Amino acid sequence: MLLIENLSVSYGAVQALKDVSIEVPHGSVTAVIGANGAGKSTLMRTLAGLEKPQSGQVTFNGEVISGRKPEDIVRMGIALVPEGRSTIPELTVEDNLKLGGMWRSHAQRNASLSRVYTLFPVLSERKSMRADTLSGGERQQLAIGRALMTGPQVLLLDEPSLGLAPLIVTQILELVARMAWDSGLAVLLVEQNATVALRIARSGVVLNLGEVVKSGPAAEIASDEELRHAYLGY
Amino acid sequence: MTNFIDFLLGGFSNGAVIALMALALVMVWRSTRMVNFAQVGQAMFTTYIALTVQQSTGNWLLALAVAMGAGLILGIVVFFLVIRPVKNSDTTGAIIATFGVLIALQAGAGMVWGGDPEGFIPPVSNAGLEFAGRIWPVSLYDILVWVVTAALVIGLTLLFTKTSLGLSMRASAFNPEVARLSGVRVNRMLITGWAIAGATGAVGGVLIAPVSTISPNSFDILLVFAFTAAVIGGLDSLVGAVTFGIGTGLVISLVSGYTDASNAPVVALVLLALNLLLKPDGVFSHHGSRSV
Amino acid sequence: MSNLTDVKNMSNAQKLRTFPGNRIVWHAVIVGVVWLLLLLLNNNIDPLYSSYLALVAMYATAMFGMTILVGFSGQVSLGNGALMAVGGYVFALTSMNWQTVPIFGWEWNAVWSMVFAGLGGILIGGIVGGLAARLKGPYLAGLTLGLAVGVPAITNRFPELLGGENGLMLTVPYPAGGYAASEIAGGAESGAETSDPNSDAGSDAGAAAGEDQYAELDLSEFDQGVDASTDPNATPATEDLLTEGDLLTLDDFSNGGDLGLESADPAVEPSVDPSVDAGLEPGQDPSGITDSFDTGFIIERWQASMAIAVACLVAFAALNLIRGRQGRVWKAVRDDPIAAAVVGISPSGSKVSAFVVSSLFAALAGAVFAQILSFVGPGAFSLGLSLSLLVGIVLGGRSSLLGAILGALIIVWLPELVDGLAGDRGWPDQITNNAPNLLYGLLVVAVVLAAPGGITGTVRSWIDKSRGKSRSPLS
Ligand SMILES: Nc1ncnc2c1ncn2[C@@H]1O[C@H](COP(=O)(O)OP(=O)(O)OP(=O)(O)O)[C@@H](O)[C@H]1O
Ligand SMILES: [Mg+2]
Repeated sequence: MLLIENLSVSYGAVQALKDVSIEVPHGSVTAVIGANGAGKSTLMRTLAGLEKPQSGQVTFNGEVISGRKPEDIVRMGIALVPEGRSTIPELTVEDNLKLGGMWRSHAQRNASLSRVYTLFPVLSERKSMRADTLSGGERQQLAIGRALMTGPQVLLLDEPSLGLAPLIVTQILELVARMAWDSGLAVLLVEQNATVALRIARSGVVLNLGEVVKSGPAAEIASDEELRHAYLGY
Repeated sequence: MTNFIDFLLGGFSNGAVIALMALALVMVWRSTRMVNFAQVGQAMFTTYIALTVQQSTGNWLLALAVAMGAGLILGIVVFFLVIRPVKNSDTTGAIIATFGVLIALQAGAGMVWGGDPEGFIPPVSNAGLEFAGRIWPVSLYDILVWVVTAALVIGLTLLFTKTSLGLSMRASAFNPEVARLSGVRVNRMLITGWAIAGATGAVGGVLIAPVSTISPNSFDILLVFAFTAAVIGGLDSLVGAVTFGIGTGLVISLVSGYTDASNAPVVALVLLALNLLLKPDGVFSHHGSRSV
Repeated sequence: MSNLTDVKNMSNAQKLRTFPGNRIVWHAVIVGVVWLLLLLLNNNIDPLYSSYLALVAMYATAMFGMTILVGFSGQVSLGNGALMAVGGYVFALTSMNWQTVPIFGWEWNAVWSMVFAGLGGILIGGIVGGLAARLKGPYLAGLTLGLAVGVPAITNRFPELLGGENGLMLTVPYPAGGYAASEIAGGAESGAETSDPNSDAGSDAGAAAGEDQYAELDLSEFDQGVDASTDPNATPATEDLLTEGDLLTLDDFSNGGDLGLESADPAVEPSVDPSVDAGLEPGQDPSGITDSFDTGFIIERWQASMAIAVACLVAFAALNLIRGRQGRVWKAVRDDPIAAAVVGISPSGSKVSAFVVSSLFAALAGAVFAQILSFVGPGAFSLGLSLSLLVGIVLGGRSSLLGAILGALIIVWLPELVDGLAGDRGWPDQITNNAPNLLYGLLVVAVVLAAPGGITGTVRSWIDKSRGKSRSPLS
């Protein structure tokens, strides 16, 4: 279980996260929702080790991970798919995938690769093409595939639906939910589209101006009209 | 016409060495978005080391191997000297630091080995080969230079395209953040890039020494040629560095052959300036300088 | 960013307070006082020290340009030695060929040659700067490196006009009066009549009598200083230096660039011990010359006063530019070109202007150098010279004019210090000759790593810290 306790992060004078505490259990999706600038990406980047926390700590299965380097955190089993299509356009699709989990054994990597190809058949078809020839949705699949190649126990997804058609969004999110359910993955999902996110998530967290304003079962948050009006704007 | 062919053939060896130096510059650029102006200084220093080894053992291969090892180490040392200003995004400081290293290496070599040009005995004959009734401007040694260069270029190509290390290095160069998120130890990859560049430059130095002489400043002009070739090739491209390195060698050989050797630096300058002029947005429009 | 807001948000009150007139007067006073002090100093020290003073002033002039270009505009240039060559050659050609032509009633003299050297610098600076403004960091450094290596080689293209590798000896057109005496012309002629480097200038010097000997001193020092031979009786090494250019042959890379720092400093190596200099007859006390100040012409003094004059004028211009609006514009573009463009500053315009100014200063310094050496040649304006300019401002402090002055002092003084030490300890030449450059190289790396502001930047940030302010050492 990923445990976030009293986490605060700032960029110079900008306090992006204030005293944030969240539990991310295995086997389910936890959704983080909030307006633009609420601090969602900052939370994800800090968990992955790209930003250093000001105070508070993050533990994974009892081990402190906050303050470690990103390459060490991912080796412990926490993989981030960052905001925007985080693929390397100059490399082929297969090289993008192979990049993930280079430290793992040959057998493990081959198993992960065939699993990714089964999950995303289109990647298998395009494996020797450069990543910049893929469509947006395909690139998002590639980014998730690369994260899965590291053999994660925790998957951090920052707006996987950015710029995608609603149908693909639903497909990708349902796939994520199924993976969490099937393989006991802990998923922390940042989504603008709160309705879809809360539908597949078991619990939800609402961030506003860097603070947690509400957390609880997804259904409860989805039905809280007041919350929706105040922080989610619909 | 015979002249033309002779000049052209004569240019290949220099072109190969320019290509190796350009390759070293490109590898450093790809890993840290910096031009290492000390690169040829490092090559000069390791060539002196090779000279010492060869003079005491008479073994050219051993000398080459020692130079490569020294090049690796020197590359790593210089990386650590220069990388801090880069991290503090003092790119001006980083450039200046590489020149500081260059000055120190040249003075250091002068202290240890003296300022007088020294000869480097080639392992095989340096005399033009006789074939089809005439003497060609190509010697056994030239052929050795081509073979070693080709082997190194092929080896590097395989390393970059076929191995996990190569993939990690390329990813670290293209997008360090994604590489780190994938578990690649990016800093080590950058150091590896500098180390391989150092070894590549060292090979270039050992190869050029027998066809010229070696002195602390003798590679300065090579820096200009290699930089020209690397920039024309786009600074990011290994293939470009090799192609335009050899091309620069040929152009310079033709210019020196038809006019005068002292025109070579001017020609390099003109090539460089033209290239920078003809790229409409300036060469920097696509690849920003980045900190590590 | 703060520079940017400075430029934009200067309130009217601030504008009044920094009313340029006041500032210019204030700068004029500062520079004027320094000038007077330096002239006093020049007239009261041994002429040999005057020759150092001349070199320091010459280096400082060029380094003021580097401060603006590298420190303020953030463009690393290795080409300022080549830009000095432009000034030096223009000076040489104009003063040699059109010496007697009066223009608008003025007799042709050094001042006019200097003006033309400056114009040449502005022209070339504009061309190179226009190209350079499109380039960033390493590209610019590489292009200017090509300039430093390529421009001296151009002299080979035009051996008739530019003297090829041998360079040009020139008659320095000394002014009448001042330090001059009636025999001056004769003294200067002997070295200048011929452009043959094998001229007997060096050996003449020994025979030169009385006042004239100092006129010869530089040539003779030049002859021997090059390879730093410590043997005072060494045969003149002029050829070594002057033929360096032909080392740029292709099939022989070794020859490629014997353009190192050490060979750049023909004149930086005047021996401290005057008796070593060929110009003096044995047993003659050099300080005796000081007594003949009123009647004799002491070329070092004249050279120093000329170099100081140029340096002070340049310093005055640089002060006004740096501390005026232009300085803030340069810094704003250096720190954030995009933000600067947003508030209506043209980044490329700013970069070109920095290049032109620094090129002008470099050309003037080159003209001064030509007069100090009575010579211009590819060996005198080598890559080593460019590198020493960079070393100087980095060590002194790349963001202040004071840093440039300190840098010039270091560049001239450190080799002397090492020579002195080496002499005391009997170090072999191989060590002594390379020690200054080794020190420069290591110091540059150390400064960039540990104290990027150089001497002035570091001292300033100490002062700020003790006052509780914080400031980037490079601001
Ligand atoms: N690198 C940075 N430097 C300074 N401030 C930053 C930086 N990154 C983010 N911020 C600030 O931190 C706050 C939170 O940003 P963050 O990217 O975490 O928001 P977000 O919730 O992901 O928004 P969005 O929904 O638009 O992706 C914002 O005010 C943002 O301006
Ligand atoms: Mg975000």
